[in-house]
Amino acid sequence: MDKFIGLDKLARFFAIIKQNGGITGSLFKLFRQDDLKVGTLVGEDKYGNKYYENKMYFYGRSRWVEYADHYFLDYDGSQVPAEWFGWLHYKTDYLPHQDPGRPKYNWMSDHKENMSGTSRQYVPYSTTPPKIHSWVPPKAK
Amino acid sequence: MEFAVTRFDDLVNWGRKSSLWPLTFGLACCAVEMMHMASPRYDMDRYGVVFRASPRQTDVIIVAGTVTNKMSHAVRKVYDQMPEPKWVISMGSCANGGGYYHYSYSVVRGVDRIIPVDIFVPGCPPTAEALLYGVLQLQKKVKRTATFQMWYRK
Repeated sequence: MDKFIGLDKLARFFAIIKQNGGITGSLFKLFRQDDLKVGTLVGEDKYGNKYYENKMYFYGRSRWVEYADHYFLDYDGSQVPAEWFGWLHYKTDYLPHQDPGRPKYNWMSDHKENMSGTSRQYVPYSTTPPKIHSWVPPKAK
Repeated sequence: MEFAVTRFDDLVNWGRKSSLWPLTFGLACCAVEMMHMASPRYDMDRYGVVFRASPRQTDVIIVAGTVTNKMSHAVRKVYDQMPEPKWVISMGSCANGGGYYHYSYSVVRGVDRIIPVDIFVPGCPPTAEALLYGVLQLQKKVKRTATFQMWYRK
């Protein structure tokens, strides 16, 4: 009956508001990530990003990440570490801490986010002398 | 005064970054990925990115695909027709540096030999997701510009 008159939508609305921290919290989240969703918290990585799942949403939107608070508006897709990438992109259904076949070695380095556009960006360089001479344009007299 | 100029800059940057209208310069298979970016699964419209057909109405040109010597004149002409401010996204390894056709007699080895490129999206072809990430990186770049601060300090 609830479903027939659409009261479940109203209930979901209140559930969403409740999960996202009341009216002010919901408005803040709406400002920050332009979306309000309700779901179960399935995990958190060591950078503080939280991962949610709700199968009610369509495939492709049913898993999502909420970036850690200190990123504020400067969140970026590359802040999701490699171990969560596969789950978030439906490559695997295993959560990183449940996956049996995941290698863990000492030499594996820590995840780094994309630093392009900052002073710590990667700049490629060559250590071999160039084989060709570039054209030097003649100067105007 | 400087505070006001900075905030005004922020406002202008916000307007520019949330309505980046790209000119589709689809030259090869990368263009198919560019179409994917426009279609509902990746949906570029949610970032205010709307394809325009005329270079006079656009902010950013997405060079998607191999730029041949024959096409280079057209790229430059279309780029010159775009109004300021304008940005360039080079999509795919062919546009970035010739890619597979680097040693071909008829291919420009990278579109940055013709027009100044802001964002290089690697891949052959890059996924629609990668291109969308490139658009977001460009938004970040636009957000950093300080047009009026520069004018005020001069």
